Amino acid sequence: MASKKCCLRAAGTRGLKMTIKQKLCFLAGAGLIAFSTSAFAESTVRVTIAEYSKGTGPYFEEAAKAFEAANPDTKIQIEVVPWDSLQQKLTTDISAGANADLSIIGTRWLLDYVKEGIVAPLDENITPEFRARFIDTFLTPSVMDGKVYGLPIAASARAMYYNKDIFAKAGIDTPPATWADFKIDAEKIKKLGAETYAFGLQGKEIETDVYFYYGMWSNGGEIVKDGKSGLDSQAAIDTAKLYKSFIDAGMTQPGVTSYSREDVQNLFKQGKVATVITAPFLSNQIKSEAPELKYGVAPIPAGPNGDKGTYGVTDSIVLFENSKNKEAAWKFLDFLFTTGQRTKFDKIEGFLPVNAEESKDPYFADNADLKVFTSLLPNARFAPVIPGWEDIAQTTSNAIQKIYLGQGEAEATLKEAAAKINETLK
Amino acid sequence: MQRAAAPYFLILPSFLLAAAIILWPLKEIVSLSLHDVNRFGMLRDFIGMEHFRVLFADPDFIAATWRTLVWTAAVVLGTLIVSVPIALILNEDFYGRGVARILIMLPWAISLTMTAVVWRWALNGESGMLNSALRGLGAINTNIQWLAQASTAFPMQVLIGILVSVPFTVTIFLGGLSSVPDDLYEAAATEGAGTWDQFRLITLPLLRPFINIAFVLNTIYVFNSFPIIWATTGGGPANSTDILVTYLYKVGFRLGKLGEAAAVSLIMFAILLAFTIIYVRLAMREAKT
Repeated sequence: MASKKCCLRAAGTRGLKMTIKQKLCFLAGAGLIAFSTSAFAESTVRVTIAEYSKGTGPYFEEAAKAFEAANPDTKIQIEVVPWDSLQQKLTTDISAGANADLSIIGTRWLLDYVKEGIVAPLDENITPEFRARFIDTFLTPSVMDGKVYGLPIAASARAMYYNKDIFAKAGIDTPPATWADFKIDAEKIKKLGAETYAFGLQGKEIETDVYFYYGMWSNGGEIVKDGKSGLDSQAAIDTAKLYKSFIDAGMTQPGVTSYSREDVQNLFKQGKVATVITAPFLSNQIKSEAPELKYGVAPIPAGPNGDKGTYGVTDSIVLFENSKNKEAAWKFLDFLFTTGQRTKFDKIEGFLPVNAEESKDPYFADNADLKVFTSLLPNARFAPVIPGWEDIAQTTSNAIQKIYLGQGEAEATLKEAAAKINETLK
Repeated sequence: MQRAAAPYFLILPSFLLAAAIILWPLKEIVSLSLHDVNRFGMLRDFIGMEHFRVLFADPDFIAATWRTLVWTAAVVLGTLIVSVPIALILNEDFYGRGVARILIMLPWAISLTMTAVVWRWALNGESGMLNSALRGLGAINTNIQWLAQASTAFPMQVLIGILVSVPFTVTIFLGGLSSVPDDLYEAAATEGAGTWDQFRLITLPLLRPFINIAFVLNTIYVFNSFPIIWATTGGGPANSTDILVTYLYKVGFRLGKLGEAAAVSLIMFAILLAFTIIYVRLAMREAKT
């Protein structure tokens, strides 16, 4: 703009006689015009990406380049945000109307986005062939009122990692099938002394509530049942007492309320806790950070009636309603969910395959750890589709932290929290 | 007439700038706090003081307010008490003073968030540096889980707060001390005043305006300080180390209640404004007498 202006003025004052400098200026201006016309033909798709690991950014940059090579008229602009600030970024971007065209969001937030009409349904683009690419379990959480509002960009489940060396030293052959067995095993591990703890229990930050649900599901409880909180059920109370008995007996790491999920995973890598319940990506971390560690993956122990449960989680990539490049954005989505791209991404991140074709890849099909995770999927519970999920998560976490700390009696504390959640659910 | 208008005319540009930066957001926040707002900042019905009513009915908010006052008072007073002797020592001429000054100033060179994250690791119960140092010294036999409960976490957070506030405060005091003429001390010494009397009767009164400045500025910084508490405990367990800023962040960005969050920030603004006005009044009255 500025250089064009300088050209015009120069040409106007000196007539047609051009100096070399002016010629150069003219060329630059012409180049600028040429560039800007090509920019008009191009559409730019902005994509907000949550950073799952240090491989996330490079993967998407590479995918964007590959896509641009195949679609020269579209430019992809990737914005990588750390997970913890994703909510904040989206909130501020959306309220300022400055959001990207596509974004990753936690599927558990999707309801709020759909209710406010912020994300666009994708159905008109979804052909039966496209839909058939997905493993149904992972697509359903993004379906609301019969419409698909997001595609599962990341999927994981939870299982129990156990340290084979510690188990062998304590004379335990197989991972515990039930919580009662686990208690007996924990006694044995406790006898080893030497600051080795049987149950790595998370008590801080994101998913503190979920760590509690593992036991609650085994005991036959539900997060929400008939529109009411399940936190005051007998199953929840039993679970709180069970976990607390592990804490009081010194079978968990001390000070559980200061350990986030990453902290407990680190204790596991250091061989300080014998078990931790977490997602498949821990396998990748162990491979690079503690390759000597001998570990196995087992289902989360069952309850007295054989109830079992794991937490299934997906993150969705959504298309915003105010996007001006819906068509180009859809093309990029289509590209991201091809078998080749999905395989590459899930291998980097250690997520579960969401694509049926992808799961046949030997990397996933022959992977002992992942087999356990996929075998658990029929029992997987996804975050219920309710408004105010984060609110409920925080109330639950606060209540169980109080119980873990011994600042509240299990039954009374849970009942109080359930009453508060029922207010939110109304 | 014209002459009287000139000063106003001259400050107009900076006033407009300040208005754009301060008054416009303030107006936006007031309007957010009085409306029903969805999680993406879209205004719905006008609901008056409803958000404030909800806040004052929330025991976590009340607790966070009191904790913020304790936090601010503890960190600010702690910083002033620690900084005066440090500044006095660093003002003396001794071998290695340059190194000592650098060491004291060093925490200032590191971003507050980084410091807080490093402390989070240092305070880790099983693999933290502090526990292994204390065990090495034989001071403790079992690991202390510093961040597991508020009774140990909060005092540690106050200590970190003091540590990071000291460099700034010492800098102010050193500036103040350099303006105290040496002959005052010499005269006092010939009159028979001891070290303590010199400090009490010369240093402290002359340092007074600098202490005032350090007090007001530190109060404002510490009251609004987010990283230390957020990075170490995130306000937990069970909201027991929340101060108003961390509470505000949770309500606004985790729970998406932007209306309530706006109300919290207005309350914080009012508290700080009241504090500053009272303090400036007191300081001015003192200056006049």
